[in-house]
Amino acid sequence: MKLDSLDLNALKPKTMNQLNPRTEKEQGWIGWMFFSDLFAGLALTLKYLFSKPVTMQYPDKEKWRPYSRFRGHHFLRKDEHGQIKCVACELCARICPSACIKVIPFEDEHGERRPAVFDIDMGRCLYCGLCEDACPVEAIAMGSHYEFSSYSARDLLVHKQQLLTMPGKTPTGDAEGAGGTVVAASLSDDGTAAEASKQAQGYHWWDIIHRKGQPKSDRAP
Amino acid sequence: MSGVLEVGMMLLHVMIVLAVLFLMPIPFTWVERKIAGHMQQRMGPMRVGWHGMLQPIADVVKLIAKEDTIPDQADRLLFKIAPIIALVPPFAVFVAIPFADNLYLSDMNVGVLYIIAVGGLEIYGVIFGGWAANSKYALLGSMRTCAQLISYEIPMGFAIIGVMMLSQSMNLSDIVNAQADTWNIVYQPIGFFVFFIAGLAEAQRIPFDMAEAEGDLGAGFHTEYSGMRFSYYMISEYLVMLTISVLCVILYFGGWHGVLVPLPALLWFSLKVGFFVYVFMWIRFTFPRYRYDQLMSIGWKVLLPLSLANILVTGLFVV
Repeated sequence: MKLDSLDLNALKPKTMNQLNPRTEKEQGWIGWMFFSDLFAGLALTLKYLFSKPVTMQYPDKEKWRPYSRFRGHHFLRKDEHGQIKCVACELCARICPSACIKVIPFEDEHGERRPAVFDIDMGRCLYCGLCEDACPVEAIAMGSHYEFSSYSARDLLVHKQQLLTMPGKTPTGDAEGAGGTVVAASLSDDGTAAEASKQAQGYHWWDIIHRKGQPKSDRAP
Repeated sequence: MSGVLEVGMMLLHVMIVLAVLFLMPIPFTWVERKIAGHMQQRMGPMRVGWHGMLQPIADVVKLIAKEDTIPDQADRLLFKIAPIIALVPPFAVFVAIPFADNLYLSDMNVGVLYIIAVGGLEIYGVIFGGWAANSKYALLGSMRTCAQLISYEIPMGFAIIGVMMLSQSMNLSDIVNAQADTWNIVYQPIGFFVFFIAGLAEAQRIPFDMAEAEGDLGAGFHTEYSGMRFSYYMISEYLVMLTISVLCVILYFGGWHGVLVPLPALLWFSLKVGFFVYVFMWIRFTFPRYRYDQLMSIGWKVLLPLSLANILVTGLFVV
């Protein structure tokens, strides 16, 4: 263990005093008499007035791409031949705390075990992700879709065909459209925010946070 | 016959000023919320119109549609009258104010005295509002507000004395014309400082808004008011802020005299007043508010001696 090479001071979160050492310096009596600290505050708000706001205008103009770890709407994966990966072992149904997954296996034309019925009641689901953890073949996973409110509980019972078409996880790291980016969107009729284009290059949310003394590329996740 | 015509013309001018003043708080609320947002790195209202421009109209509709509650044991007559009493003095002050060359409602020889006197009537609206509401928070809030307002009137008046010594007249048009060469801010920096701080306290803006303290003290003297009655208090607050800005411009910053660019006098006046209104809002969203005892001690122990010293020094120079 290389404890001595750990730079604890660099790991500690930076306080405002470290970021803005000018406040620790003695201002002097002229500064006191002419309210230099008040004017420093006014200058800061003036700077903020002319800087880009950090608001994400969801859902009117922008949409958030969640991280790949986000537990959104479930989706069923297919393998490289286009066949569904799920082997209908019902482990996800057993581990589900809300008992909202219903799996009925059958033997398909190749003699393999596949699900005939794969229903998830999204109204009862906790979105805990245990089904994703339990699956031995990485068939069921939780994706990045989160806008599926509906007026009737019946619409929330999704079947195998819908689960196969759900969008998957967002890519990680600095890939195109990775999690943590805000992309242009617009409000659609059903109340969801539709992305302007699937390949929209948004901005990473940390890049517009104004921080004194920290480099812009020093992204916190 | 010509008498009727003159009265008619006067009424028309009064109507114009009234209409402008009634409509001024509407864009002010929008500007205040947008500036509040952008100074806090967020956007203000964005949805109601283009960048939230129709938000004040939505606010007005909401206030009109609200239930008009009157507390059970409240003094009904005072309760209903108090917001209107609060609304009258800011309008009355604008009678004596010159907006541009020979553009005024009334050329009073004692304009400054009139403004200070009528501005003091604002306190009645506060007292009646707090008393009539029959609620302990409202009463406490109104007592504190009243004490704050009367304490800060004194340094404000003394600061204006300095200006009057320079211009040798109480007539506001004469004061502005006396600044044709150099503005009074050059000769009276401390006077302006005292006047501005006292004006902030008179308008009950942060950092001196302990009395309303929006959420700390249950909104102070206008706690029990809802709907249009509350909106009258808000309108009067914005108008007092506008009045203080106008007075700052007239007394210290040359009124309608321009700097380099030749623009119409009224436009220069409006730009300067707009700048001061912006400074009011800028200060509001930068500083925390003073505790009540700090507030009172600033009024009596800091501003009053400063304004007296200002009069002394100005007197030495004028004589």
